[in-house]
Formats: sequence, structure tokens, C-alpha cells
Amino acid sequence: MFMKNRKKALSVLLLAIVLILAACSDSAGDENSNQEKNEPVGDPQEGGTVTGALNTAPGGQFNPIFAVDLYEETILEFTHESLVKQNESLEFIPSLAKEWEMNEDQTQVTFHLEEGVTWHDGEEFTADDVVFTYQTMSDPDYISAGGFRTLYVEPLLGYEAYNSGETDEFQGVVADDEYTVTFHFAEPEITPLYMASYPIIPQHVFENIAVSDMPGSPESLEAGSIIGTGPFKFANISDREQYTLERHEAYWQGKPYLDQVVWRIVESSVMIGLLENGDIDFTARPNGIPPADFDTVSTYNHMELVEQTDFSYQVLGFKMNHRTADDVNDQVINPDNWIENEKLADQNIRQAIAYAINREGFVQGLLYGKGDVINSPIAQQHWASDESATADYSYDPGKAMEMLDEAGYVDQDGDGLRETPNGDEWVLNLKYPTGNQLRERSAPLIAQQLEEVGIGVDLKQPKEMTAFLNEMDQDNDDTDLYLIGWGLETADPDPTELWSIHSPWNYSRWNNEESEALITAARTAPDALDQAYRKEVYAEWQRVYSEDLPALLLYVEPALWTYNSRINGVEVLPHTLLDNSHLWWVNNAQ
Amino acid sequence: MYKYIIRRLLVFIPMIFLLTIIIFALATAAPGDPLTGKKVDPSISPEVYEQQREELGLNDPLPVQYFNWISSFAQGDFGESMFYNGRSVESLIGARLLNTVYLGLFAFAITLLVAIPLGIYSAKKPYSLLDYGGTAFGFIGLAIPNFFFGLIAIYVFSITFGWFPAQGTTSDPNLTGAAALLDRLHHMVLPGLTLALAGTATYMRYMRSEALDVLGSDYIRTAKAKGMSERSIVFKHTLRNALIPIITLTGYEFGVLLGGAVITEQVFNYPGLGTLFIDSITNRDYPVIMAINLLLGVTVLFGNLLADILYSVADPRIRYD
Repeated sequence: MFMKNRKKALSVLLLAIVLILAACSDSAGDENSNQEKNEPVGDPQEGGTVTGALNTAPGGQFNPIFAVDLYEETILEFTHESLVKQNESLEFIPSLAKEWEMNEDQTQVTFHLEEGVTWHDGEEFTADDVVFTYQTMSDPDYISAGGFRTLYVEPLLGYEAYNSGETDEFQGVVADDEYTVTFHFAEPEITPLYMASYPIIPQHVFENIAVSDMPGSPESLEAGSIIGTGPFKFANISDREQYTLERHEAYWQGKPYLDQVVWRIVESSVMIGLLENGDIDFTARPNGIPPADFDTVSTYNHMELVEQTDFSYQVLGFKMNHRTADDVNDQVINPDNWIENEKLADQNIRQAIAYAINREGFVQGLLYGKGDVINSPIAQQHWASDESATADYSYDPGKAMEMLDEAGYVDQDGDGLRETPNGDEWVLNLKYPTGNQLRERSAPLIAQQLEEVGIGVDLKQPKEMTAFLNEMDQDNDDTDLYLIGWGLETADPDPTELWSIHSPWNYSRWNNEESEALITAARTAPDALDQAYRKEVYAEWQRVYSEDLPALLLYVEPALWTYNSRINGVEVLPHTLLDNSHLWWVNNAQ
Repeated sequence: MYKYIIRRLLVFIPMIFLLTIIIFALATAAPGDPLTGKKVDPSISPEVYEQQREELGLNDPLPVQYFNWISSFAQGDFGESMFYNGRSVESLIGARLLNTVYLGLFAFAITLLVAIPLGIYSAKKPYSLLDYGGTAFGFIGLAIPNFFFGLIAIYVFSITFGWFPAQGTTSDPNLTGAAALLDRLHHMVLPGLTLALAGTATYMRYMRSEALDVLGSDYIRTAKAKGMSERSIVFKHTLRNALIPIITLTGYEFGVLLGGAVITEQVFNYPGLGTLFIDSITNRDYPVIMAINLLLGVTVLFGNLLADILYSVADPRIRYD
């Protein structure tokens, strides 16, 4: 998971300007609409280059086990592969592993690997590479070298002992023979395939490099030295500007048709123009087209549009508890010490606030009708999502006022704002970060809508994201309401990381035993090995969430992707546009 | 003169030392640290961040952190970025510094080549059509925000006419020799013009008012009375005397040249120091902040020294000893 849209605030302003410019330029659009649409004709052709756009430069770490940002990961989708990948229903399907079997209690998975897979440098891919990748991520030096992805190795058998340096023997992943590898888990693992889905790095390249030196080595940073098994390999890196990938001739699924895939870093406000004149061929996750520009791009006949739901949501969080200053200092999350935020303690109040907010209005007004209003905190693409289990907080200011009246929050001194039942002043502090234009625009609207039902809101100055996160981390402050966006995992719907009592990202400090019991049950074998059981438990959890309401889900931003119709063979998946890029080909390739 | 320069250079050392302390204090005083910005991925366990914080020395007392930084800096090592995994500060700054210097010099050349002749001509023929034109241009140039001009330039010259590339520094990184140079210059035209716009306007206004001053002075009248040629008056007497404030501006401009092109760089996605600087501040990437600030500080100091030296070239009456 990740937080979305940490774009530069400036882009917002730039975007506005370009919209004005674009509005003045209808003639340019007409020229395009006269062009004949390129229909895929005949057989795939070899050759050609396609160019993709990213609005933020990747950090430059192209070793998948040390890569951190989404932009690095996006480029790595072309160059590195994992044992399994996800299909259009988000199920795991074979990739480098052609088949696998699990034991009864899911403590072991044995993968049979594809044979004849070669790395970019011609060496053969074997089970040892898989072992090496997971062993490196379990290494005692991995975290201090800057590695973050321990999630994938923590459930492995003997991880603790190996990671703490007690033993040199790595039991978690074992090569049975050259093309067979077995994952051993310490406990029955609910999501074994997810754990096995990490991109594999080559042993022969890295074996003589100490783990602590890996991130800084040319093999992690420099074109030509970065080796994967993917259909394309790095040919050139112009740092923060252009990343050129060229075809991996000996790709195991067949030689890719395209000569090159180029990633260019492009300022968001200029991107639409470059899509129009053909300099840029595609843009997808994590960027895509801003909702405001969608209609403009849809007039370009040479562009195919993809409109999907993103794996993310924006929330209006209710700060239900604060931590004590001591706990913040000691970095302890102990619900027994939490101090209840009396301003929002009453469940009815949180629900009333939910009814007072016109979420559909945000979708229509801010997102140009793209995107969705949701009530479930599980991504709707997942099997576990169950909107029917949740309460529907449609815009109903009348009901909101009624609920507030009933709860005793009425205006006693005639200033138009409600007081607490004791007659004390009742003003909610709303805090939010800069960086996401739509979110920034929603904040004053939320304050206004709450004031319309008589809730006093003190809209604080927005803060730059790092400062805002720091404030959320150290939550012994005066925050009552906050805005934030969360990206969601595509592999599994487990909401623990955002909503468990013990998670630092539970910024609401939601302390609900029932919820905790349910999310724990949904991850506890043996019952949880059965997906139907998990689905039931998650449905119940969604009901609890939606009733207790630690945060109101405002909207889901749309994933608006586009690619030039001269590219054939593009497969649109819910989580990516870049799968099977070896099958992409362009018309009239030279 | 040499003594003066050496003395000035020696004064730089404590100044730079002081500068590092101030920057370090300011950088670390901002809320959060390099891991706060990274800590947005809930699938990563908090202990991992804690361990990395420890490893990066972020839990040490500030004086210790400062000492660690300055001692490795004294050995010529700018250290590793705390935000970009595995990237050394040197590798981050390296190519971008050159990009920025090229762009800055290119823009500065445009500025001088346009502003000085235009300023002098306006002063020679005040209230002429060209003077009014120049004045209008000056005010518009100052009033138009960089990004706006940049976007219009992209829209008109790049997207509509397709004359110049809109983004980046190169269209093909594999080019070599003259082709690469031309490609680079081609990419530099729009950002260069954008960057030069406001500077040109300022310099032109300075040049005009300064030259007007000089043209009205007694010694010019004397020169005219002696029957000196117009050319000689303008180039030998007016220009030289009117250049002093321009030189002062140039001295300051040196620092701005490195760090001031942020917005232009962003609009044209020109990978220079400015954007890296802003990013490093939002990311709280202390080593990068320190390195760039130091670089800017040193450039400003040298710029001023250079201006002082140039004073004595432009006006031989100014002597240092």
C-alpha cells in the first residue's frame, strides 16, 4: 500500500493554465478527429518504439528488492518478473513458475519453474535465483542496507533466526532441484502466493556483492548492469529525464515485437499536449489522465481510453482517540493509554457528519462524474468487498440535523453553531495535506457543508505532506478531522495495515475490539484458509466499520489510462496496463 | 590585488562553516525526517523504519549528526542520499549541476545580449518608439510569471508548431559530438528564453536608467563639446560607467543561476539542480539539502568576489590592496 498523489503543488496551478489554453484550442482537436483511426491490420510486425509518460522521476534504484517508489516499480514491470502474477480477476496465475502445489495446511508451496528462461545477460534462470532473492531479503543486513520489503519474508520458516544472525542456514525457501523450489512457512499461510509474488533478482550477478553494498552497486543503478528476466532490459538511463528499455532478444515467452520502450518524465500540465501530438504513446498507473482532461483526450481519435476504478480511496478521518505525549515519545501504540477525543466520541455524531457531506457532489463536481462513492473500506475490485454489508450514508442534511438534535448537540446561544450537550463550545479542527489538488479543494467544501448543518469547523491551513504525516504520527494534538488518501494492495484485501488498533496508520486511533477480532479471525488458519469463510468475516467487518465509522470514505478516484491506438496487443488489467508487453506491436513500424 | 583575493578567499572558510551550521539547523528543524515521507506504505512494518532511522543516525543528537556530516564532508565525501536508496549525493548532483550551468549560462547570454544594447539605445533615444516598446516589454517581462510564459511557449512553439522540443534535455541519449550539442541547444531554446525573460527585463531597465544618468553628466557633455564621435561616447564613456550596477547584479545572479530556475525546470521538465533542491527539501533529504545549499553558498560568494574584481576592470579608479 502507498499513499497517492504526492505531486508537486505547482502542477496544480500549471494544470489550470493548460486547461485554459486547451479551451482556446479547439481547432487543433478537430484536425485530429479527421484522422482515420488506426485499426489493427494483419499480423504483428517487428520493430518500433513506444513512449510512456511518468509525471515524477523515479528515485533511480532499479534493484526490485531495494526499490521504494511506484515510479521505479512501474519501470521494473518491463524488466523483472516474479513466480506468479495476477490476472483480470486478481487471481494469481503462472509466470516464472508454471505450476505449483500446496500441502494441506498451507505451510508449504512447491513451485515448478519454467525451463529455458534466460536472464538479460544470457545466464539461465534457476531455482537458486529464487532462493537467493528471498535469502537476501531475509539477510540480517537487508533492512540496514535500505530494504523495506520484509513483509514477503517474515512469514517464512526460520526467518527470525536467520535474520537475527543466529543461524546461517536459510530454511524459508529451498531449491529441490534446478527447476523446483519450495517455500516453507512458519505458520499456515493464508496468502502463500502473494508472498511468492516478489520479483526475482539474479544470483550470479549479486552473489559476490555484500548485501549492504547492493543498493549502491552498478548492478542496481546502471543501465546495462541491471539484469532481470523481463521482456525488456535497460539500454540507457538519463537520470530523471528518460529511461530507455530495449528488447530482450531471448525472452522466454518469445522475442518481443517492439525494439524499444521509452519512459519519459513529463510535467503533468504538458502531458495532454504531448499525447495529442503523439510524442507520448501511453500513460497508466500510477499517473494516468486527470479527470478534468478526460473529455479532451476522448476527442483524440488516435488514443484509446481506459476508465477503471483505482485501488485507492480518500477519507475524512475522525480522530477518535489521541495518544499520550509519553507514548508518542516512546513510539508505543497502547490503546489502554489512549485519551478519548470527546468531541467525536459519540457514534451518532460521526454518522451525522457522514450524512451531512455531499459525496456524490464531490464526484460530480471535482471528479467530473468519474470515480465512485463507496461505503466499504475494502477495494471494490476484491472478492471480499461487500457494499451491501455497509450503511449507505447518502447526502441527507435533514437526517444529519435530526441526529445531532437527538444527540443533544443543539445551538444554545443562537450563533448558528451547535454546542455540546453541556453547552460547551463545539468546534472541530479539520487538517489536511497539500499535494492532491482534488483533496485540497474538497476541504473547504466539507467545512462548508458541516457548517450548513450547524457544526463549527476550524479549517486549518493545509500542510506540506511530510509535515502533515509527521503531525499524524505524533498524534497528541488537537486534530479532530483529517483528510488523507490511501492506496490499496491489489494482492489481498486484508485491511489490517490501515484499520488494526495496533497499526500506526490507523490515524483515527480507532479502538474497536469487535473489528480487531474480525480482522484477526480473517487471517487465522485453519478457518481462514477457506476464502468463503474470509469473505463472511470481512462482510461482518465491513458492517462494523461502517457502523462505528472511524473514517468516512469520501470517494475513489478513477484510474484513467490511455494508449495510442497504433499500439496493438495491449491488455488492460485492473491493476496494470503493462502486462505481457512482449506482445505489444505497432502499425507501420520501421 | 592578489593579496586582496587571497584575503577574501580566506574569509570564505569561516563563512562557509557558519553557513553549514545554519543550513543544518534549519533543515533538521523542519517537521519530519527523511523516513517520514517514505512512511506512507502501511505494508512496511514500523520496526523497519525504526531500524533504518537508527542506521542512518537519525536518532543521534543533532550535534553528533552534524559532526558526522562535517567530518565526512571535510574528507570530500558528500555522503549518500537518505531518501533515494543507494544513490550517492555526488551521483544525484553530478549531471544536473552541468545541466543547470548550461541552461543558466545560455539564459544569461541571452539576457546580456538583449538587455545591454536595448537599454543603451533606449537611453540614447528616450521616449522614442523603441524606448516605449522596450519599457512595455520590460514591464510585461517582469509581470508574466515564468511558468505562464513557459507554458505558452510550449503550447505555441512546441505543441502547435512543433519547432522546439517541449521537455527534457535530449531527444536521443545516444547522440554524440556535434549532433548531441545541437540537440542540447535545441532543447535549451524554450527554457532558456523563459528563464531569460525576467532577467532581461530587469537588466534592461537598469541599463536604461543608468545610461540616462551617465548621458546627462558633465563629462559626457564635455566629450560632446570636444567633438568626440557618438560611437566613442557610447562605448567608451557611457557603457563603461553604466556597467557598474550590472556587474553588481551579475554577482548576485550567480547563485540564482544555480538554484533559481526551479519553476522553469519544472515546466520544461529540465533535470537541473532546482527541482532536485526542492524535492530534497520536501523529502527532508538532509545530505542533498546540505550539499546543494553549500554549492549555492559558495557560488554566491565567488560571484560577489568576481563582481568586486570586475569593478576594478570596468572602473580603473577602483583599486583593492
